Amino acid sequence: MKKTGVGLLVATALWLVPNYGWAQKAKAGAAASASASADTSGNADASGDATATGDEAAAGGEATPGGEGTPGGEVPGGEGLEDICKIDPTACPNLDMDKEAARQFKEPLYAVQQIFALRVRRFELNPFWSVTLNDQFVTHPGPGLALNYYISNVLFVGINGEYYEPFNSILPFNAEVRRAARVAVPLTEYQWMASVQVGYVFAYGKFAFLSDFIFQYDAYLVGGVGALSNRPIAVVDPDNRNFDYKVKVQGNAGIGLRVWVNRWLAITGELRDYMFNDQLENLEVAVRPEDQQNPATWYDSKSHFTNNVQAQIGLSIFIPFSFDYRLAK
Amino acid sequence: MKTKTRKLTTRLLALALGAAAALGVTERANAQEILLTGPLAGAPAVRKLRLHRQGRFEVSPSISFTLLDEYQRTILFGARLGYNFTDWLQVGVWGGYGAVKMSTYLTDQIQTRNVQRLGRPPTDTERRLTAVNLGPDFNEQLGDMNWVVSPQILVTPFRGKLALFQSIYLDTDLYVFGGPAFVGLNERADCTECATDGSTAFAMASRTAITGSFGLGLSFYINHWSALGIEWRFLPMSWNTGGFDTAGGGKDAEFPDNKITSADRRFHFQQMLSVSFNMNLPTKIRLSE
Repeated sequence: MKKTGVGLLVATALWLVPNYGWAQKAKAGAAASASASADTSGNADASGDATATGDEAAAGGEATPGGEGTPGGEVPGGEGLEDICKIDPTACPNLDMDKEAARQFKEPLYAVQQIFALRVRRFELNPFWSVTLNDQFVTHPGPGLALNYYISNVLFVGINGEYYEPFNSILPFNAEVRRAARVAVPLTEYQWMASVQVGYVFAYGKFAFLSDFIFQYDAYLVGGVGALSNRPIAVVDPDNRNFDYKVKVQGNAGIGLRVWVNRWLAITGELRDYMFNDQLENLEVAVRPEDQQNPATWYDSKSHFTNNVQAQIGLSIFIPFSFDYRLAK
Repeated sequence: MKTKTRKLTTRLLALALGAAAALGVTERANAQEILLTGPLAGAPAVRKLRLHRQGRFEVSPSISFTLLDEYQRTILFGARLGYNFTDWLQVGVWGGYGAVKMSTYLTDQIQTRNVQRLGRPPTDTERRLTAVNLGPDFNEQLGDMNWVVSPQILVTPFRGKLALFQSIYLDTDLYVFGGPAFVGLNERADCTECATDGSTAFAMASRTAITGSFGLGLSFYINHWSALGIEWRFLPMSWNTGGFDTAGGGKDAEFPDNKITSADRRFHFQQMLSVSFNMNLPTKIRLSE
C-alpha cells in the first residue's frame, strides 16, 4: 500500500477542519484585564487574549469539549466541585481563599536553587582585550585568549596568552617630565605573555535589573605561572642602545567577574596582576664611545620587581553549549 | 516509468492540497479567558522583598585611594550621605578630605637629582634648564587634592544576591552615580619670573576646580541596616600635578614659555577607589508586601 499520498491527504483533511478552542464561560460583568479586542461571540483574536462578555453560547451550560474542567470548579456541563460535595460532603474541599492568600509560606528555599549554568566538564574559551591599570608612562593593551577546563563546577585549569607588541603606547607625560625635570623614566614595552593557570569560582549569584531582567553572575580567583617577553625602550641613550626582547618568568593572580548572557555565553571582566623581575634601561651612559655601544652597559645592574596590573574585558564561550542537570529543578 | 509518474503526480497533488489548506484556510484560535482566582491573584513577583534603601537615610563613612598618580597619592577620608526616595533612587552627597599624601617613586627620583643639581653652580646647564620647574624641594611644589565635595544622584538598577563559598549569602547591589564635583586644589601659583631662586617663584595657591564625578559601586549587606561598599569613582579635571612649565609657548602653545599659568594644567582622568561602611537609618528595614 502506498501510504505517502494517503497520509498527506489525511493531513490535508485535518488542516481543512478549523481548530477551535472553546472559550471558558466568563462570569457576567467580570472585567478581564486583557487588552486585546474580541468580538461579541467571545472569540478573541489569535493573540490569545480575550475580553469577557458573558453572552456567548457557552453561558447556557455548554460542555467543554473533551470534558476538561477548570480549577475553580465552574465547569460547563455541571461537573465540578459542587458535584463532589453532593456525592461525598466529607471530601468536599473547604478552602477560605482569603485565608489561604494571607498564609505565610514556610517552604524551604535555597538561596540559589539551581545553578543557571553548570561549568563542570566544560571548556571555556575566553577571548579578551586588556588595558594597563598601573603604568602612567607606557600602556600595554592587547588581545588575549584563555582556554580553561572545569574539573568541577568551581575549579578550573587552563592556559592563557596575550599579544602586546603592536599596541604599546608611550604617553606624552614621559617627554614632559624629561623636558621639565631632566629625569628619564625607564620605559619598557611588552611583546607577549603566556601562562598556565588554575582558578576557583568562589561566589555566584544573580542580579535583577530594574526588578525585571535577571542576570546570573559568578566571581572567581585565578592564578598562574608563565613567561613574559619584553624589552626596555631606549630613552636615555637611544643613539646607541637597541634592546632585544627577553623572556622572563612571571607569576600572576587575579579576580574576575562573569555575567551570563545565556547558558554558554558570558561577559567576563578580570583584574590580573602579572608580576616579574624586570631589567630596565641603565640611566647612566658610559663615558667611552666603545662602552656606550657595549650591550652589557645598557641595562641597570639591579633587577626591578614589576607589577603589571591589567583589566581584561572579554567573552566566555562554554563548550559544549548544552548540559544536563543531575537533579530536577 | 508510468508507475513512477503516477506516484509523483499523487505526491505533488497531495502536497499542493496540503499547501492550499495550510495557506488558504484561516485557522481560528479561541482564547481561553484567564481567571486567576487563587492565592497568586494579583500577587507581586517577589513577596517580602527586603527594601534596604527605600525611605531610609544612608550614612557611609569611606576611605578613598587615588589611582594612577604620577607624583603623589592621596588618601581621602570622607562619607556619603543620602536619602533614598525609592529603593533605586538616592539623592545625596559624597565628600572627602585628603588627609594622607604619599609621594611616588618618580617624585623621589626627581628630588634626588634635584638635590644633586642644587649643589652645582647656577651656571650648570642642567640646573639652568630646570630652574623654572624645580624649586628647592620638589615635594613642596606638587599639586595637592585637599578636598572633594560631590552632590550626586545614585541609581541602583541592579539588586541581587551573592553566594560566597556556597555558604554565606549576601544581598548585593550594583549602583551607578554621578553629579557635579567641587575639588579643592593646591597648585603652584602663576608666575612670570619663575626662574629665580626666591621662594615666591615656587609659591602655592589654592583654587576650587569645578568638574563632574561619576562611577559605580557595589554594596554587600551584612544585616538589615549595614553594608560594606566598594566604589570606583572618576574625577576628570585639569590641574598641574608637578608644578611644571609644560605649555603656553611655541606652536599651538604646546611648548614651555618659562611661565606658570593655567596653560600648564594637564587633563587627568583622575580615578579613585573607595571602601565604605554603609549604615541605613532607621535601622528597621521595610519589607515589600
